Amino acid sequence: MKQIQGSFIKGYVRIIVTGRMPEMFFQECVNSGVTVWNVRREGRSSCSGNVKLSDISEIRRLRRERNYKITFEQRRGYPFIFRRFFRKKEFIFSFIMSILLILFMSNIIWKVEITGELPKEIEEKINKQLNTYGIHAGAWIFMIDPPAKIQQRLTDDIPELLWVGVRQKGTTYQLEGVEKIVVKEDKVEGPRNLVASKKGVIKRMYVSKGVPQVEINEYVEPGEILVSGTLSDQPKSEDGEDKEKEDKKVLVPAEGEIIASTWYEADVTIPLKQNYELLTGQQEKKFYLGINNFKFPIWGFGSPDFEEVHRDSTETPIKFIRWNLPINIIESTLSEKQIQKLERTQEEAVQAGIKQAKEELQLQLGPDAKITSEKVLHESLENGKVKLYLYMTVEENIAKAQPITQGD
Amino acid sequence: MKKIQQRIRPWLVKYLALPSDVVMELPRITIIGQLHVYIENHKGLAVFTDEELRLKTTKGYIQIKGSSFVLKMMLPEEILLEGKITDVKFIPG
Repeated sequence: MKQIQGSFIKGYVRIIVTGRMPEMFFQECVNSGVTVWNVRREGRSSCSGNVKLSDISEIRRLRRERNYKITFEQRRGYPFIFRRFFRKKEFIFSFIMSILLILFMSNIIWKVEITGELPKEIEEKINKQLNTYGIHAGAWIFMIDPPAKIQQRLTDDIPELLWVGVRQKGTTYQLEGVEKIVVKEDKVEGPRNLVASKKGVIKRMYVSKGVPQVEINEYVEPGEILVSGTLSDQPKSEDGEDKEKEDKKVLVPAEGEIIASTWYEADVTIPLKQNYELLTGQQEKKFYLGINNFKFPIWGFGSPDFEEVHRDSTETPIKFIRWNLPINIIESTLSEKQIQKLERTQEEAVQAGIKQAKEELQLQLGPDAKITSEKVLHESLENGKVKLYLYMTVEENIAKAQPITQGD
Repeated sequence: MKKIQQRIRPWLVKYLALPSDVVMELPRITIIGQLHVYIENHKGLAVFTDEELRLKTTKGYIQIKGSSFVLKMMLPEEILLEGKITDVKFIPG
């Protein structure tokens, strides 16, 4: 039976042979390698049997040599089913339409879910914000930004949110938010000293609690006690009267601001020539249908009349139910850019270097520090670059709290 | 020459226990109840009707009689017959 296996897939035909001794025709077929099955006698001069679709031409050839009449009946198998199917135009049309519909549906957001323990008004706010981004039920998936970007924008735009997780799961957008809860910082109200965090020369002191241990214009090393939190109770004049009272000390948390002048050294390198790009704000958008490496333009034809173009493209795969098709919608933004060339003299480069070093230091120390003076210690020019070695003095608060440990 | 062959073959079958259908070019007929007849090594179809199947062999014909015959499969030198079988007969020719 192996010989007739798979005949349904390849298709088979039932033929009726009419003539004298019709069974002999089948014998001829078999002799020339055609498999015949289910042969049945139909009458005195006719016989029927199944043959494979691929053997039809062989049968035609055999029939030409003999005096038989052959009629085809019952075409069976997939080739015939397909042919019958493709003959019906409305059927094909509806089939294509339904696939397109599924394609269309799979690329639309059906639901925006907001989870997490959020109060109603924040949820409302998120919804509103998402609407302004174009994310709502019924929006095209490939027209909106990727989840990571939305996450970023949401946390930026809604200050009440500490964190928001955006996840695209098929046709639903899942958002998980965590509300920002302002936690009051617990101040450790224990007795403490103020010590120096850096070496420096004290310029100003504002002590609101505690006993200052240093004076203005004194040089301090890191770790030195600036303001002591240990207060002695008795006045100094009554010494010798009661010795045990001297041991009774009052410990307070020292508070105050010690502004000291500190110094920093920095290395900067500034090139004399510099190229940089600037976007002018002019831009054009183009949409492509991407299959593998091939891009087919759908929207936005012609090239923009910019001289220098900065390209930025995002790819969004088209979905079919839950699979990503190998077809992408590519949105590319062409922005005009200008290439700026900058050339400066050594003098200008030094100024730029000092400015840059100051900015960096300010960033490092925070806004409370004040850079009072800077000095170029060493300057050299090599390979078109100016190398600077700078010395800067800063006025900043160097006080650092250190708890006083008791009992041990 | 042919005579020697014809003499040697039964001898081979008898003493060397070689399968007789292969050595002597005889048809091998397998009958399953009254349902199926499976014939190998035949030399072609002679007659086929609803009630009779006659096959050529090296020595004459095999005649199978019965009713509602269908040739389930036809291959060179092989035939599978289905139906209600009543007779199997060898006709020397």
